[in-house]
Amino acid sequence: MTHVAYGVWDGIVYDRQTPPDHTGAPDYDLKNFDEFDAGNPIRAFFGDRGFFVFDETVSLVDSLYHYMAKAAEQSCGVCTPCRMGTVLVRDALDGMRRGLAPSLDLDRIEMLGEQMRQTSLCGLGQTCAVALLDALHHFRGRIEAETAPGRPVPAQHGMAYVTAPCIEACPSKVNVPRYIDYIRDGKPENSLGVLLQQYPMAATCGRVCVRYCEQACRRKFVDEAVGIKTLKRYVADQQSGPHALKFTRDMIRKPLADGMKVAVVGAGPAGIACAYHLLLGGYHVDVFEKSHQAGGMAQIGIPSYRLPKDTLAMETEIIADLGGRFLFGQQLGRDFSIDDLFARGYKAVFLGLGCQAGSRLGIAGEDAGLRGYFSGIDFLLKVHDHVDGIAPLALSGEVVVVGGGNVAMDCVRSALRLGADQVHVVYRRTREDMPADAEEIEAAEAEGIRFLTLTNPTRILTENGRVTGVELVRMDQTDPDESGRRKVRPVAGSEHVLPCDHVIAAIGQQVEDGALVQGDGVALDRWNCVAADDTLATSRPGVFAGGDCTTGPSTLIYAMAAGQNAARNIDDWIQRGSVRFFKRARMRKLIADNRFLANDVVETPVRNAYRVHNPELDPELRKHMFEEVEQTISARAAYAEAQRCMRCYRVYSVVTRHSIP
Amino acid sequence: MCTPDPARDPAEATIALILNGTDCRGFPNETILACARRHDIYVPTLCELDDIDHTPGTCRVCLVEIVQAGRDEAQIVTACNTPVREGMEVRTRSRKAREMQRLQVELLMADHLQDCATCIRHGDCELQDLAQFVGLTENRFFDRARTEARPIDLTSPAMVRDMRRCVRCQRCVAICRHHQQVDALAMEGTGLDRVVALRDADDYPSSACVSCGQCVLVCPTGALGERDETDLALDYICDPDIVTVVQFAPAVRVAFGEEFGMPAGTNVEGQIVAACRKIGIDVVLDTNFAADVVIMEEGTELLSRLKERRRPTFTSCCPAWINFAEIHYPEILPFLSSTRSPQQVLSTVAKTYLPEKLGVDPARIRVISIMPCVAKKDEAARPQLTRDGLPDTDVVLTTREFARLLRREGIDLKHLAPSAFDSPWMAEYSGAGAIFGTTGGVMEAALRTIYAIVNGRELDRIELTQLRGFEGVREARVDLGGAVGEVSVAMVHGLGGTRALVEKVLAGEADYDFIEVMACPGGCVDGGGSLRSKQAYLPLALKRRETIYNVDRAAKVRQSHNNPQVQALYRDFLGEPNSATAHHLLHTSYEDRQRALTHTVKEIWDDITASMMLY
Repeated sequence: MTHVAYGVWDGIVYDRQTPPDHTGAPDYDLKNFDEFDAGNPIRAFFGDRGFFVFDETVSLVDSLYHYMAKAAEQSCGVCTPCRMGTVLVRDALDGMRRGLAPSLDLDRIEMLGEQMRQTSLCGLGQTCAVALLDALHHFRGRIEAETAPGRPVPAQHGMAYVTAPCIEACPSKVNVPRYIDYIRDGKPENSLGVLLQQYPMAATCGRVCVRYCEQACRRKFVDEAVGIKTLKRYVADQQSGPHALKFTRDMIRKPLADGMKVAVVGAGPAGIACAYHLLLGGYHVDVFEKSHQAGGMAQIGIPSYRLPKDTLAMETEIIADLGGRFLFGQQLGRDFSIDDLFARGYKAVFLGLGCQAGSRLGIAGEDAGLRGYFSGIDFLLKVHDHVDGIAPLALSGEVVVVGGGNVAMDCVRSALRLGADQVHVVYRRTREDMPADAEEIEAAEAEGIRFLTLTNPTRILTENGRVTGVELVRMDQTDPDESGRRKVRPVAGSEHVLPCDHVIAAIGQQVEDGALVQGDGVALDRWNCVAADDTLATSRPGVFAGGDCTTGPSTLIYAMAAGQNAARNIDDWIQRGSVRFFKRARMRKLIADNRFLANDVVETPVRNAYRVHNPELDPELRKHMFEEVEQTISARAAYAEAQRCMRCYRVYSVVTRHSIP
Repeated sequence: MCTPDPARDPAEATIALILNGTDCRGFPNETILACARRHDIYVPTLCELDDIDHTPGTCRVCLVEIVQAGRDEAQIVTACNTPVREGMEVRTRSRKAREMQRLQVELLMADHLQDCATCIRHGDCELQDLAQFVGLTENRFFDRARTEARPIDLTSPAMVRDMRRCVRCQRCVAICRHHQQVDALAMEGTGLDRVVALRDADDYPSSACVSCGQCVLVCPTGALGERDETDLALDYICDPDIVTVVQFAPAVRVAFGEEFGMPAGTNVEGQIVAACRKIGIDVVLDTNFAADVVIMEEGTELLSRLKERRRPTFTSCCPAWINFAEIHYPEILPFLSSTRSPQQVLSTVAKTYLPEKLGVDPARIRVISIMPCVAKKDEAARPQLTRDGLPDTDVVLTTREFARLLRREGIDLKHLAPSAFDSPWMAEYSGAGAIFGTTGGVMEAALRTIYAIVNGRELDRIELTQLRGFEGVREARVDLGGAVGEVSVAMVHGLGGTRALVEKVLAGEADYDFIEVMACPGGCVDGGGSLRSKQAYLPLALKRRETIYNVDRAAKVRQSHNNPQVQALYRDFLGEPNSATAHHLLHTSYEDRQRALTHTVKEIWDDITASMMLY
């Protein structure tokens, strides 16, 4: 348990020196705060809501200087108080810590701090003087005592970190406000450049991302979250026009020797992201892919009306532009083993195998060989081949899709486009419980899909080896349990038959059997996923894994983040034999564990300005075709949407006993 | 919008609030600033410009104190982008609000070059006004070295962008991006290094800028301005070996009197002629005369194009439009009339025909052109418009520079007796030439003459009022009779509308014979070189326009072809309109100046890293 020596947080003063009869606030309950990295205690922490000092000998002046220096470096310069104030205060604190006559006295520093806090345009300026003002209001004597001798204060160790709720929510830690700023500034290519620092598949992400960032967006307290994904797609789509950015080998930081090669298994989002970052780090990368196209689930699992195939292909090609090699038709476990890879001289292996085997419903009459029966993922694969012109597919009659996730929605909307007369979704919980994106559900409804919720299949009816119907049972909800969650249970006697021609089981996927064989030395966990630790290392040294094959079916952005993290860790492992401490990740954990980045309300009134939406094709027209439904927004709409971002940047800093590795 | 909208029904003002102690009602989502203005309460502002719906909230000067309903503590907010709320109490003049407003202006001044005496905006600056409004008394944070290190862009022949005087209000970016839709400007850099920059270019010649000068009209300070050439003009005027010829544009005479305290829209043609004589100009000519010549050339050209079924034909008198077509839509260039602009026609004739008449060596002549336009400086420098390496037009002074020149000569226009042109060759003009200065004017002037050519008689109703609307894009069908019959015409002012129209033409969706384009909204009467207004955009457009139409009404001759001096020019010198001589002297050519842009990710990353540390 860490004890606060003194500090202020959310306006509450903590001071261990307060006499017992005085009503000093109780100690603040801080989690995970003892040391920053092993053997390196945290001496003080500064943030957007105040500061904590744990070690009485910490210099407030030096700490506040470093904090303000970070704010000044990050100030965008748009508004007057932050642009000027951060610099003036930083320089004054710098003079003080050096033992020089300060350029501003404490009263003026306080005046500028108040001006920044109360009148700045965005979150950075509004919060970066809070700790300073708290210190000046409540512990001014300490600051005066520090500067009284007129000598330099001893240097301190630590780090400062800038983030925002949307950045923290993003698995890939995309600097969202920054890429929105660039749109607002009139530099969309720089905006794309910010995205490309994290992953190469910006246009894909701009179409299919599940948008953790928008869930965290504080604009929703005013009206609606900023259309972050819509803006991403706007800048990424410039990549296909005449002004497309060129990927060149000079992006590679430092080309490494020929022998420094890494094998990436699986050309899905995780593998592509991993290969991209390894290539940028100078490695030679071969990507082994069992199919004949790159993209993985983004290629076969997302229908072309949501993600056109050429958009994805353009982005996976970036790997080749950077010198990476795709080896298609190469399946792990069939064509090669992990031992083979090490024998061929690869220094490390990344497994991005994905989860591509559809889960079974586990009900009577279910048989993979039935005509008219598909798993969701197999069905989407057939849809993919249809769109590619490899194997035309036509459906007729009634189609029942079981499941409530995005794959289920992709199946129903695809089935409709293939000519089904009526398509039903069967889902055992309520519509609100469906894990699919609300937009996907609404789009499916607009296209005429019938939703049978609180309904579960119990038996598949067949005749001569083909599906003729499905027996369904109605479900009802139990009262909420302690966690507030309702369970569902079958209603006895409510069984009924829905005649149909096709049943598609879209209830989940798992890693394909046979990819990993005995002797590979890569352990699986109890869900049959690849077991990987925090650093994404598997049980076999030099083999890392990420994406769906370690987590079970998840999202594109998690897979790309895993690929990026794995690339960094693989680099460490090859260069130094172990994975290094990652200080920004530690800072994120500190912030998350203590909920510092609170979703506080917006204090002052803000004018409502509702978000723009991607133009869409008419449902009656689009339900017959596989062309992209959503269109890119106009430049004018993009400028307007970018204007809605409130830039909720926050600065956090720690002071530590030793330097941070 | 921050000004009261008269169309709004007062019954919709349902939000009850207290403004400086008085109960009042605001509209839903109305800003405190708009509500205060509606109630005649002044709040100092800088970056905001209501006429272009610009409230970026960047200067943070319009601070007011509010207490929200159900709360005790007061908050400081910006009036420009904070909405009124039920039960809110607003104090615009509390001590705290006033002190914070003042500190904000002091911080604005901290990296603003305050050499006001040498500033192009001297005496007419919104920032100076603002300092007065907030009672600025000290300047504790000013850092001269830091300020002087900020960049100045001198690469344009027309304009200067001086970041030492920029307050980062972004009005210029907004007018260029949203209104003119040229989008030549971008905000660049962070913190103190934040500047207005050219988008994707290091200098004006390689940028998307068309020199329309609308950015200059909205700039609150001297950060944007014309390239001042009054000294060059004075050098010529004071050189006894040089014969100076002045021409001034149709719009200048109706958009100049304000500078000397005369009512907006006063026609000061006579005073300008007198002033020119007083400062020592040798020959005072009128661009209106050249406008009549342009109609002869362009009208004839249009008729021959119609016969060849080449349509549409775009007018070519506006140099910012020429720049726009060359840089942004080179595919449209074959549709532009090849006739030079009135400025260039006058300059050429002044260096060919006039010397013969005057009996002077053409090499001794210098043409000084007074224009409500900064793009005319660009035009004068075009290689196509030089002869033997020398420009036809030697100096272009914007209306603003001309005012400066007169002040330097101690002339107050208001106290000057009007004079008249005395050139027997190049100063008379028709009403048609006079209306060139406003949107629709070139079209109307051309149709008057074309009708006469086609039918051998004049139009019955000389004023084509169907062309005289003020919407951004207007169209009309006019029966020209004879072999030509009905023609379809369009007039557009402002480049935003122009872009849309050009796109339509290129897509084959527009059906026009003749299209008049003026790059500046309102036409030349509100050109980028005209007098600046403070905290307003084009407030005087309609008054100036009315005066221009009055000049037409009062003119002895209403059609270009009936201008006796024009008739003499063709008779004595050019021959027929579109003759070989006319073609050689009065027509020009255009070039494709579109730039292919390809960035590499590496370049972009270097730029991002340079402007912002990666977090």
